[in-house]
Amino acid sequence: MCNNTYIPIPMKVEKILSENPDGSLRTFDLSFVNEEDKFDYMPGQFCEFSILGKGESPFGIASSPTEEGILKFTVNRTGSVTNEIHYLNVGDIVGIRGPLGNWYPLEKLKGKDVVIIGGGFAFTTLRSMLIYMLENRKDYGDITVIYGARNPDLLIYKEELAEWDKRDDLTLHLTIDTPVEGWAKHTGFVPTITKEVSPDPSAWAIVCGPPIMIKFTLPVLKELGFDDTRIYTSLERRMKCGIGKCGRCGIGSKYVCIDGPVFSFEELKSIPDAF
Amino acid sequence: MLKIKKTKLNEFIDFLNRDYSVYAPVEHGKKTTFKKIETALEIDHSAYNTSKSAKEVFFPQAEVMFKYSKEGLKVPERNEKPFAIWAIRNCDAKSLKMLDSVFGDARQHPGKDYFKDPYWKQKYDNCLVFNLACNEPLSTCFCHWFDGNPFDKTGSDVFVVETADHYIMEDISDKGKKFIDSYDKAEKADDNDVKVIDELKATAESYLGDKIDTKPLFDKLKKIWDEPVWDEVSAKCINCGACTFVCPTCHCFDVDDEGKDGKGSRIRLWDSCMFQLFTKEASGHNPRGVAVQRVRQRIMHKYNYFRDNYQVDLCTGCGRCVSVCPVNLDIREVIKKVLEY
Repeated sequence: MCNNTYIPIPMKVEKILSENPDGSLRTFDLSFVNEEDKFDYMPGQFCEFSILGKGESPFGIASSPTEEGILKFTVNRTGSVTNEIHYLNVGDIVGIRGPLGNWYPLEKLKGKDVVIIGGGFAFTTLRSMLIYMLENRKDYGDITVIYGARNPDLLIYKEELAEWDKRDDLTLHLTIDTPVEGWAKHTGFVPTITKEVSPDPSAWAIVCGPPIMIKFTLPVLKELGFDDTRIYTSLERRMKCGIGKCGRCGIGSKYVCIDGPVFSFEELKSIPDAF
Repeated sequence: MLKIKKTKLNEFIDFLNRDYSVYAPVEHGKKTTFKKIETALEIDHSAYNTSKSAKEVFFPQAEVMFKYSKEGLKVPERNEKPFAIWAIRNCDAKSLKMLDSVFGDARQHPGKDYFKDPYWKQKYDNCLVFNLACNEPLSTCFCHWFDGNPFDKTGSDVFVVETADHYIMEDISDKGKKFIDSYDKAEKADDNDVKVIDELKATAESYLGDKIDTKPLFDKLKKIWDEPVWDEVSAKCINCGACTFVCPTCHCFDVDDEGKDGKGSRIRLWDSCMFQLFTKEASGHNPRGVAVQRVRQRIMHKYNYFRDNYQVDLCTGCGRCVSVCPVNLDIREVIKKVLEY
């Protein structure tokens, strides 16, 4: 019998970080229980996170392959599996299946300027990519990050955002939807801020966020002159099997789990129900 | 070509049972489905189309993927012999090939074990398919719309024709030849048998309704994705999903856990693109939240998306969806409507 990709491997919860005051977003650092289970992955890939008795849900890997020994997932408490995940304590054992799906085109991005555009808690795999690029900084040109959320509380990785803001080898634009007292950065939706920042269209754009944000950011990038082949996004669907069998994540003739989740806009424009 | 007397089928099935777990149509209540049999007496040869398709032999409606407890995870062991499936009709035999292209491999990563489905493979690989020709196709049958016919041999290891008092067997694959050659109680079929088969085939074909050329469907569907024809097509559909459950080619599934107190099973269950929950995400976002989107998905997947990936339509014209639909939504009418649109 061939190996069984449906069997999760055990991982231990090492660290839990609450990302916002109401605790709805938490980041979990997991370590491999068995040395032989360790796997390589690339920024943009995802895993199925298992809570035995509750089921499994797909999450993008938020850690970078350069952060050795751990896998990081940021989970929004919203359904029955994510609810259970939020009840986890340090030391608990969970099940992980992966890595699944494809990854951001990091090879193609070498030597190029890169614009990362993210919204809400979809910044997870973008964090993975950003850390990966910063660790291999000389391989890439200018890095611009535009990241927005409804309010400052909903921005994730706040400590890292503060650090990135201080760096002179990347430009960070943070934005919130509506004004809040004491907020000194941008105010406005991500597409609007993208237009304001007006990144050079010779760069490659990686866009990841809620469907509505992607939908309105793409025309802005097009207007700025970005070519469809140089705009990438990561799609989210309710992936179950993760290996192209169960049929849930179908968009047109593609499956998000094996053909994606990372797609160029060039690939997506011929798929009518991608957004 | 060999033949065995109908009255001697029990001997043949006994022989088959020695090295194989034999599955055949069995009547229970008012339904006939494929079940594991011990003797030929259990077989219901009268069912032209079993209530559920043969896919459930290899891809059961509910299947334990592993059991979990405090001691860890355990995949159920399967010590059964390889499977043999007797009296499967051509529409189902062909569907198994289609399902195998999904479960048995991965189009994006051909040959990579990581992407193969072990639960499918352990049952489907090495199985022996006895495809029984359809002497009297039903009014709902439309295999001839999709490159099939009642005497089509695609997907069989052994092709079987039922005559007045014999089962005539033709080996199609090496595996099939090896098996029937090893059965020494069969008689040799002769020229007269060949003639009888030809006559039966001609009669069977005369039962079929008009043939529609479905080749243009693929391009047509691509063009009309956004057209109001889908509102018309889906208007009476109640999204019950019965069509997808009886379909020999539909293969979408859900994975869920069942158990309590730290002990239980992870199971996979047939699911359906007809259900609203199928694509609903925890955030509330639902890419196919409206009924018309789901009906379109089913038709598009069958006659466009699957062909795009595997160069074949995901439909064998078995007609089960036509007979079970509670609102008489006839997929043949949908096809015609799309082609005429």
